[in-house]
Amino acid sequence: MSYGIQRGIRFQILSEEDLDRIHWGTLHILEKVGVQVDSPTCRKLLKENGCEIDEKARSAKIPSHLVEEAIRKKKSTITLAARNPKYDARLDLNHSHMCANGNGAVAVDFETGARRNSTKKDLIDSTTLCDALPNVHVHWPMVSSTDMPPSVVHLHDLEASLNHTEKHVMYETGVTLADAKNLTAMGYAAAGGEKEYRRRPITSCLQCTYAPLQHDAGVMDASLEFARSGVPLVFFCMPQPGATGPATMVGSVVVGNAEVLSALVMTQLSTPGAAVIYGLGIAPLDMRTTVRAGGSPEHAICSAMGTEMAHYYGMPSCVGVSGTAKEPGIQAAIETYTGCVGPLLAGADLMCGIGLLEDSSCLHLEQVVIDDEIVGAIARLIRGEWACDDTMALDVIEKVGIGKNYLAQKHTMQYLKTDHFMPTLIDRRSEDNWSKTGKKSMKDTAREKVKKILAEHKVPALPDDVNKQLVAIIENSRKDLWGGESKVQ
Amino acid sequence: MEEIVTRLKNAVINYEMETIADLAKQIVDQGVDPLVAIEQGLAEGIKTVGERFGKGEIFLPELVMGAEAMKAALAVLEPAVPAGQHRATLGKVVIGTVQDDIHEIGKNLVSTMLSSNGFEVVDLGVNVPAADFLKKAGELKPNILAMSALMTTTMPRMGEIIAPLKKENPSVKTIVGGAPVTDVYAKEIGSDGYSGDASGAVDSAKKLVG
Ligand code: B12
Repeated sequence: MSYGIQRGIRFQILSEEDLDRIHWGTLHILEKVGVQVDSPTCRKLLKENGCEIDEKARSAKIPSHLVEEAIRKKKSTITLAARNPKYDARLDLNHSHMCANGNGAVAVDFETGARRNSTKKDLIDSTTLCDALPNVHVHWPMVSSTDMPPSVVHLHDLEASLNHTEKHVMYETGVTLADAKNLTAMGYAAAGGEKEYRRRPITSCLQCTYAPLQHDAGVMDASLEFARSGVPLVFFCMPQPGATGPATMVGSVVVGNAEVLSALVMTQLSTPGAAVIYGLGIAPLDMRTTVRAGGSPEHAICSAMGTEMAHYYGMPSCVGVSGTAKEPGIQAAIETYTGCVGPLLAGADLMCGIGLLEDSSCLHLEQVVIDDEIVGAIARLIRGEWACDDTMALDVIEKVGIGKNYLAQKHTMQYLKTDHFMPTLIDRRSEDNWSKTGKKSMKDTAREKVKKILAEHKVPALPDDVNKQLVAIIENSRKDLWGGESKVQ
Repeated sequence: MEEIVTRLKNAVINYEMETIADLAKQIVDQGVDPLVAIEQGLAEGIKTVGERFGKGEIFLPELVMGAEAMKAALAVLEPAVPAGQHRATLGKVVIGTVQDDIHEIGKNLVSTMLSSNGFEVVDLGVNVPAADFLKKAGELKPNILAMSALMTTTMPRMGEIIAPLKKENPSVKTIVGGAPVTDVYAKEIGSDGYSGDASGAVDSAKKLVG
């Protein structure tokens, strides 16, 4: 059986005509308005290739033929390789994969319930959990190791991730050239050298574009370095409808599309054939509370449309989900379900964002396992049904005849395993049994599952010599930033 | 005169961004005291808008449109204020997002809320080096220096600013915020104030100048 979520049904939001219109509209914006490109290196690259540059405004107008050319050079199948090949995530426009949310800076302590800045231990626990969960296919470091020296927090994050999961690790912390070099070096070390890494990249980097229509200098310089080094990239646009994008979802998709395509142009000009995934995480700014409305129906629709745009270009998609709930519970479940079901039905290749609350900010370990269960249910929902001899089961129906039951049929046992979703948290027992065992809420059950996994699940660490290399990279990159590493006392 | 000042107040409350400058010109032409127009017209108007937003009666775009209307009128009225006189504000705030950080939405909202609650706000933008924060604090002598940081990697920059600020300009108070910042962290780096959202930023700022 292949890894990831099998997709048999699909819904469509944008028609072929809509997709064409968004594409042409985007080309119009790129030619007429252009994008701001803060990196001098990138402006030079664009200028040499015929873009009109305004050095004072740092903007570039990008002609359509450059965009079309970049799209031609894209890769349609990108394998996010894993330390253990059984977890290789093949983004081939046919399977969906789920990824936990990343880089929150706050966690609710599993023991004390206190809300505090996240630590390396939180990262290790959440990584171990994600390694064990069947519906988390690709790993993001879920929180930042804020108890480590500030200049190397992201390197500790990668080290802990690589040691505590055998799944592919995608990070989003490569925002300067120096970061890119260090993170790449760590990937090479963990893969067993550059050659092996280029064949099977076990890490990748997600980069945000800067809505509306801007590219941060550090992020783009780092991106070109990643592309040169064979590190797969996601360009992830995040206009917030009404604030940094038009209030209409399609309008914000146009802005985001222009950002992703212009980043693709720069990358393909610099490294033709680079592995680039189309990323989009558009959620409106809630205009009453000023919180980004992660997990809203609009978020889901945008992630679905982002997937349709990606596939229109023949690129794999990476789209977002999140939730604004403050604690595991009903709101969080509604947000994860709403946010995931739309994009997965639309065929998202990679979805990132389960497990953190407060819109991608705060880790609750219980929520990670609850969200895993939700994704499991959706995976069943979208698997697809088909009528063949085995599924129609005419022979069995004939055999059982009228008025009897199917309990003692081999066919029943056989298809139970593949066709019936077996929840691990959803409690379907009778009220009587539920009462007798203490009327546990789903959060209680989730806590037990977290405890069990953390006690029992063992992930093989990287070999000692690799860890030595990782530690050396971290130590060498540690800088006395900001008047000394320690916080001001 | 009172009537036209009331009209100015209502122009803010009704978000008349396009026409409010003309009204302000009329006020100046009629010889109305621009300070009265600012304090009883604009300030009162934006206060009402801010309160409505705080109560959840109106949406963010309405708050921003009210603030834009106020700015458009201020651009006409402020130059007409006789030299030596100043409009009464709750205090001056210099705000920015710290170096290497380009998240601006939260910082912009805090600016808008502060100015709609009677503070004079100078916004330094995003990716602002510590040296610039310190320089502006020295030049403008604000009551409050406000810093936003949205990333764990950029949070420490706030402490880097607060430490020398407390030596160079001890009278300037500080407030900090942004998604990863907690009140515990704010205390650790020696900030006078912290808030997790924009209306809390106003309360915190008021406390510091009060
Ligand atoms: C939108 C967004 C972006 C947009 C920003 C667009 C813009 N024009 O500002 C874009 C796409 C550009 C972006 C880029 C990046 N982002 Co970003 N982004 C976010 C996101 C999803 C929402 C931020 C937001 O606008 N919220 C809405 C506003 C209104 O809320 P707010 O900013 O928190 O502000 C409120 C309060 O915090 C407070 N407040 C804020 N400032 C202040 C100041 C004072 C004085 C006070 C009192 C209060 C206060 O009041 C505000 C109003 O209520 C957050 C996740 C999150 N939910 O915070 C990630 C997040 C902040 N980003 C993150 C990252 C990693 C990045 C990138 C590095 C990604 C990349 N690889 O490219 C880059 C950064 C590049 C750089 N050099 O800065 C991480 C940070 C992780 C960490 N542990 O440090 C976050 C937490 C997401 C995540 N979990 O991974 N991002």
